[in-house]
Amino acid sequence: MVFHKYFIYFLTLVASAIWLSVFSVGANLHVIACDVGQGDAILIQRINTQILIDSGPNDSVLNCLGKYMPFWDRTIELAILTHPDKDHSGGYLNVFKTYKIKNFLTNDLNNKLFSSQYIELLRNEVGGRGTEVIYPDIGMGIRVSLIYLDILHPSQDFQSSKTNNYSIVNILKYGNFKAIFTGDIEDVVSDLVSTRPELGEVNYIKVPHHGSKNGLSEKLLQAIKPKVAVISVGRKNSYGHPHKEVLDLLRSSSAIEKYKLKILRTDEIGDVEIISDSQTFWTKNEK
Amino acid sequence: MIYRCSIFLFLIFLIFLRFYSTRPIYKNGDFIRITSKVYNEPIIYERLQYLKIQGLKIYLPKYPAVNYGDTIFVEGKINDKKLVSPKLIEIKETKNFLYNFRQKLIDFYKASLPEPFSSLVAGTVIGSKNMPESFWDKLKDTGTAHVVVASGTNVTLTAAFLIGVLTVFLKRRHAILITALGILGYVIISGFDAPIVRAGIMGGILLFSQEKGRVVSTWRILIYSALIMLIIKPVWITDLGFILSYVATISLILFQKIIDLRLKLIPAVFREGLSTSLAAQIGVAPIIFVTFGQFNILSPIINALVLWTIPYIMVLGAVGGIVGLIVPVVGRLILFTLFPLLWYFINILYIF
Repeated sequence: MVFHKYFIYFLTLVASAIWLSVFSVGANLHVIACDVGQGDAILIQRINTQILIDSGPNDSVLNCLGKYMPFWDRTIELAILTHPDKDHSGGYLNVFKTYKIKNFLTNDLNNKLFSSQYIELLRNEVGGRGTEVIYPDIGMGIRVSLIYLDILHPSQDFQSSKTNNYSIVNILKYGNFKAIFTGDIEDVVSDLVSTRPELGEVNYIKVPHHGSKNGLSEKLLQAIKPKVAVISVGRKNSYGHPHKEVLDLLRSSSAIEKYKLKILRTDEIGDVEIISDSQTFWTKNEK
Repeated sequence: MIYRCSIFLFLIFLIFLRFYSTRPIYKNGDFIRITSKVYNEPIIYERLQYLKIQGLKIYLPKYPAVNYGDTIFVEGKINDKKLVSPKLIEIKETKNFLYNFRQKLIDFYKASLPEPFSSLVAGTVIGSKNMPESFWDKLKDTGTAHVVVASGTNVTLTAAFLIGVLTVFLKRRHAILITALGILGYVIISGFDAPIVRAGIMGGILLFSQEKGRVVSTWRILIYSALIMLIIKPVWITDLGFILSYVATISLILFQKIIDLRLKLIPAVFREGLSTSLAAQIGVAPIIFVTFGQFNILSPIINALVLWTIPYIMVLGAVGGIVGLIVPVVGRLILFTLFPLLWYFINILYIF
């Protein structure tokens, strides 16, 4: 009789687990800039397909993945490390340890410029996991289920003395929705990217370098005319990000009037979630 | 009577002997090298890992990671029971089956469930404190951290589960023997934290007294286990976990039944959790408040709401983990069935 009782408990658990898993997915595209403090971690998800752009400075990215991904989904289809700075790469070691990453888009981590003890650990972890490693090149296109990515920067033979300028810049397309992710590029590269022909108007920009004045350039802003600018930045960070210059640029009359630009910051509202049904898009809790 | 008293005095004498013979001989400013096995799981902070070796606090860089059971070789300067600017010279990874088993279990939980659910399971089943800082803070704030620092409850559950299952197949004598070995194994796997060792010793004494058909008073077991522990490791007398564990057990013995009888109006699912938590709080809350300045008046209510899930999480988590090391898919499915309970537990924490 006792076993009977426990068996029924167990079946109840199984049934509720199934219900919870059914309700955890929707068919829209979700772009979530995780609140990971001073750093970047952006989760792009549609049903059970995930793209992760950067991993923040530490393990708090795991909380974000746990919060938004269905609990039974342990696979991330594409992980991107825009560049190896710690505030972008810090969480990847444990992301690789606890999730199955199918593809990893990254700069060549053997580059002497990037070398550090952590990067070496990360490289070994990636190497031992059977993950397909992809190196970026201008003009490269990647498709992950219905999501398309175009790589705008860097080219294969790009050289710079600054890690930030190696940041992988990509444009995401899902139906009519377009978003650009810019890593930590500085204004030189910002200008360079603004001349790319595949750019066009873009709905969403992840503002480069946590809103540093040495990041977003006016040319890039004018070229893409975004509706939403997301700044991923830590509360009271020691760099003073986002800088006044960039906020002024985003708030300038032309930007506000012409593009009806909305600025969303992770230090002010936590995770910034944008949802798109491929035609239109909205921020979470409003439509 | 005289016989008992002399045993008692002899034990106390042994404690003093051990206390003076194991006292470290170094003083502030000394430069030392330590080679030691790591007997507790290091606590991971954003940039550092913290471990306590030979009574010394050591903060090392986060990588390379030191694991429970490894042997490490560090050097540094002593300052006030702390090793200043420590340098990690070498880590020898453990080859011991049980230590590795623990690490494999933790890895399997982390690879099967998202955070913070996986940390909750790993903490509940084997007391792993390796979890995101924000979740650890949440547990402390709500007064529920005791569920993830493997405690006496875990040992009791392990013993009850083993006895329950084994007596179906084996003679009682053999079942008790294997259960005792199971408890020992569990103490090793979950790290030699004072509360676990206490429960392990108490559980062991109880088991064998049952085997011999003798009734032993709980108080006596409590005192003897404390003496045995202090002989093994005299520094435990200053260990907060040791003190809290005993104070909580004493409060439980004194107050739990009385409180439980007065809570008839509370539904049975929550009653045990509430009375246990209230009884333990009587002794524990003042100590926690004095040492950490932390006190959550709602903690007994939160505990009452979540504690009933712990036996299920522990049993299914352990079964899922062990099965998962052999057939990962099946183990993972078992862990998935736990998800509703974990989801409930964590949402209760975040409501408060």
